[in-house]
Amino acid sequence: MSSIELDSVSKRFGSVEVISELSLTVHSGEFVAFLGPSGCGKSTLLRMIAGLETVDGGEIRIGGERVDNLPPGARGVAMVFQHYALYPHMTVFDNLAFGLKNIGTPTEEIGRRIEEAARILEISHLLKRKPGQLSGGQRQRVAIGRALVKDPKAYLFDEPLSNLDAALRVRTRVELARLHQQTRATTIFVTHDQVEAMTLASRIVVMNARKVEQVGTPMEIYGRPATEFVARFVGSPAMNFLTINLKDRGGFASAVLGDGSVIETDVPINILPSGELRVGLRAEAIRVREDGAIPGKVEVVERLGDRTHAHIRLADGSTLVAEDKGISQVQPGDSVRLAVEGATAHLFDADGLAYHARQ
Amino acid sequence: MTDVTLSPGKAVAAVKRPTGASIGPRWSNALFVAPYLVFYVVLLVYPLFKGIWMSMLQSDMFDNTSKYAGMANYHRLFNDKIFIGTVWNTVWFVVMTVPVFVAIGLLLALALNSSDRTAAVLRAIFFGTSVLSVTIVTIIWKMMYMPGNGAIASIFKLLGLEPVAFVTSSSLALVAIAICTIWWIIGLPMMLFLAALQQIPGELYEAAALDNASRWRSFWSITLPSIRRTMLVVVIYEIVAQFQLFGQAQLLTQGGPNNASRPIVLFIYEQGFRSWNLGYAAAASEILFLIMAVAALAQFFVSRKRVEE
Amino acid sequence: MAASEHIVGRGIGNKLILFTVVLVAVIWMLPIAWTLLLSFKPNSELMISTASAFHPPYTLKNYADIFQTSGVFRWLWNSAVVSVGVTVGILVLSSLAGYGFARAEFKGRDIIFVLVLLGLAVPEQAVIIARHQMFSDLKMHNTYPAIILPGLSSAFGVFLMTQYFKAIPKDIDEAAMLDNASRFKIFWKVLLPLTIPAQATLGIFSFLGAWNDYLWPLISATKPEMFTITVGMASTQTNFAQSEGLGFLMAQAIFAGLPVFVVYLFFQKYIVRAVAGAAIS
Repeated sequence: MSSIELDSVSKRFGSVEVISELSLTVHSGEFVAFLGPSGCGKSTLLRMIAGLETVDGGEIRIGGERVDNLPPGARGVAMVFQHYALYPHMTVFDNLAFGLKNIGTPTEEIGRRIEEAARILEISHLLKRKPGQLSGGQRQRVAIGRALVKDPKAYLFDEPLSNLDAALRVRTRVELARLHQQTRATTIFVTHDQVEAMTLASRIVVMNARKVEQVGTPMEIYGRPATEFVARFVGSPAMNFLTINLKDRGGFASAVLGDGSVIETDVPINILPSGELRVGLRAEAIRVREDGAIPGKVEVVERLGDRTHAHIRLADGSTLVAEDKGISQVQPGDSVRLAVEGATAHLFDADGLAYHARQ
Repeated sequence: MTDVTLSPGKAVAAVKRPTGASIGPRWSNALFVAPYLVFYVVLLVYPLFKGIWMSMLQSDMFDNTSKYAGMANYHRLFNDKIFIGTVWNTVWFVVMTVPVFVAIGLLLALALNSSDRTAAVLRAIFFGTSVLSVTIVTIIWKMMYMPGNGAIASIFKLLGLEPVAFVTSSSLALVAIAICTIWWIIGLPMMLFLAALQQIPGELYEAAALDNASRWRSFWSITLPSIRRTMLVVVIYEIVAQFQLFGQAQLLTQGGPNNASRPIVLFIYEQGFRSWNLGYAAAASEILFLIMAVAALAQFFVSRKRVEE
Repeated sequence: MAASEHIVGRGIGNKLILFTVVLVAVIWMLPIAWTLLLSFKPNSELMISTASAFHPPYTLKNYADIFQTSGVFRWLWNSAVVSVGVTVGILVLSSLAGYGFARAEFKGRDIIFVLVLLGLAVPEQAVIIARHQMFSDLKMHNTYPAIILPGLSSAFGVFLMTQYFKAIPKDIDEAAMLDNASRFKIFWKVLLPLTIPAQATLGIFSFLGAWNDYLWPLISATKPEMFTITVGMASTQTNFAQSEGLGFLMAQAIFAGLPVFVVYLFFQKYIVRAVAGAAIS
């Protein structure tokens, strides 16, 4: 397995710069997810690594070797496409064999590898079929198998789960995680689904509007989002944002809400800039409790079974989502009180930069 | 997915030097289009310009030379009563046939837009004549039109009517050609309309039925608006196609009687390959080209308009 | 297929329409039925009156005579050679060019494609005199190449195949690139097999078009032994009115029409799809 290094790479489509001076290292054996909304440039970046898009500036190295001038086939990577891209007129066996034949792999070796990959992916009984005769999940496995047999330097996944139904997506996710634990293969996984990124990746690269917002482990991304964009994009329901006034509480920031109630955060006040600030609170940090400090009125109740989300309007008209236990008594129209766990609160400045409590 | 024992690859990439394709422009990629381009340039582009050049030459029949004559051929054409006559004949033929193609084509398509077997057989009948060559079609219709002994004359006699001499009457010769042409290739507009009708979502008709719309009302407010573009395509296509009238006229009436059914292409053919006035024929063909280019341009704009929608 | 055929309360209207169309279809078939009927009549009887077609005797002699006398077989053979030549040529050239225009980038490609599309607007009549001159200068008239080659310059097939290649998802090529396939291998092994439906459509259209082509073979082939069946059938009907072999002529027409009709019956599905495809694109 090999590392993948991007050294200030740039990409233009006509006059529009879609990737600018981006640098990133994916270590050997690492599972990295590129996470972001559609159009953020994450697929383009993946395709640049694969050799399916030209690079307009910078260098790409795989296993230390510079590859950005090599054709896709010569880079030694394998890709699993969003729509699988299986060759429709070839049997599953031929789909898997095509790439090996093209580099002159001996026939017995091809047979052996396909047999092995088919066993791992449990598609041995499908080898004689054509893609049109397979279900979506089976096609997905064949697509992964086509990558597996090549024993590539790195695996590139381009939103591979987005065409599966919800149940199958969850199952395949677990299988991919297991596969990676066993192969320890360098993997880049592009997705717009934060759950996939959180559950699969050892590191997540959050991208937005053609640039990297944050690189970090899943818990870093979730617990200490670098920007408002990351905070809003990762986590469900999205983080609550409320405009506040600042008050010093012995070196730490206290946030005063519009209705006068106070949230005591652990964010050091000396790192905060002047100007408008907002507090960011995850739903699980806001509880519906009789002894809570903040009054509000319930507008919508979403029951998820294990927990309940209450959409609440505060006295000053701002709204937020609070969490309650599964068998919650709250009803739309109820007046409730909210208790906020200030230690997990984040502060954001006017530019969307985040400020967290010390670790 | 259980245990993974994929043995480490034996440096597969090193077995053979990779020869895979790369993205981006490559000069060698032009080799795919080069073979066709040779034919295109040699047999279409070159003759097109050579034809324009030839239309400006006046050939001398005696010593087989030709000299540049500018617009002389065109001047002669505009003063040639026979040529002007052929233009009017062709226009008249287009005016006669195109509305019929649209109307009957659409009516047949509406009636046969059904998935049952009867409709399929009927569609095959109406379209089937289109695959015959013009020479077979004219043999068949000569038998229909033959004075005295033809099928139509026989029917007229059977009904106690005076047989109409279609092909030998200067007022009816072109009509006879038009009838034969419509019989021959009504299948194409029918198929084009059928394809368009099948693009209309069935839910529209179901919604209209629930809204108490009659069949007639559904036709006017759903079907017609939905096939507007196909209608235009059919009209333009048929105009271009019928301007090229040749075989039927050459074989059914020989352009007669008295030039009454002589179309432009027959004029070009006779000038070029019977009288060997190549420059003169070339000039006539350029005028035909100009007329048809206008129609083709219209087609281009119509199809582009749809893309923009 | 029909959108509204199942809507309740329209049965009677539908039946009425169907009845009318069946009636029209019968009228539509009359000319062919008449021709067929005449082809089974002895020529001598038809000389007196074609009305004799409605009663016996009927004979197969007219068809037997085709095998004896006429050039029909030679013409059919010529047509077969020409049509197969045109079809194969168009399929090869259009597939290569279609792939090139749709997938293989090179400088100036898009401009060239527009220029090729403009070629669709050039009618045969605008180039036919110059073409005739070219083949005359090369002394090539009355040869198969002269009849075949001009048909290969048509841009229609290139346009059709380009559209078809463009409709194939690009990630199939990309997967093949990652599988180390060369440009030509991607074309030959991966994409070309996926265009078989389009090849069938284009092939049938080219075949029928070449078989039925009249103007160019009429000009280029002047010797009867080089006539295609289409031109040959034209040569038999020039002195029609005085013809002493009406039944024989009808038999020839039926016989000459058979090959295309068989092609039509066999490939009706593709032909219909081609026309429909042309309408939608």
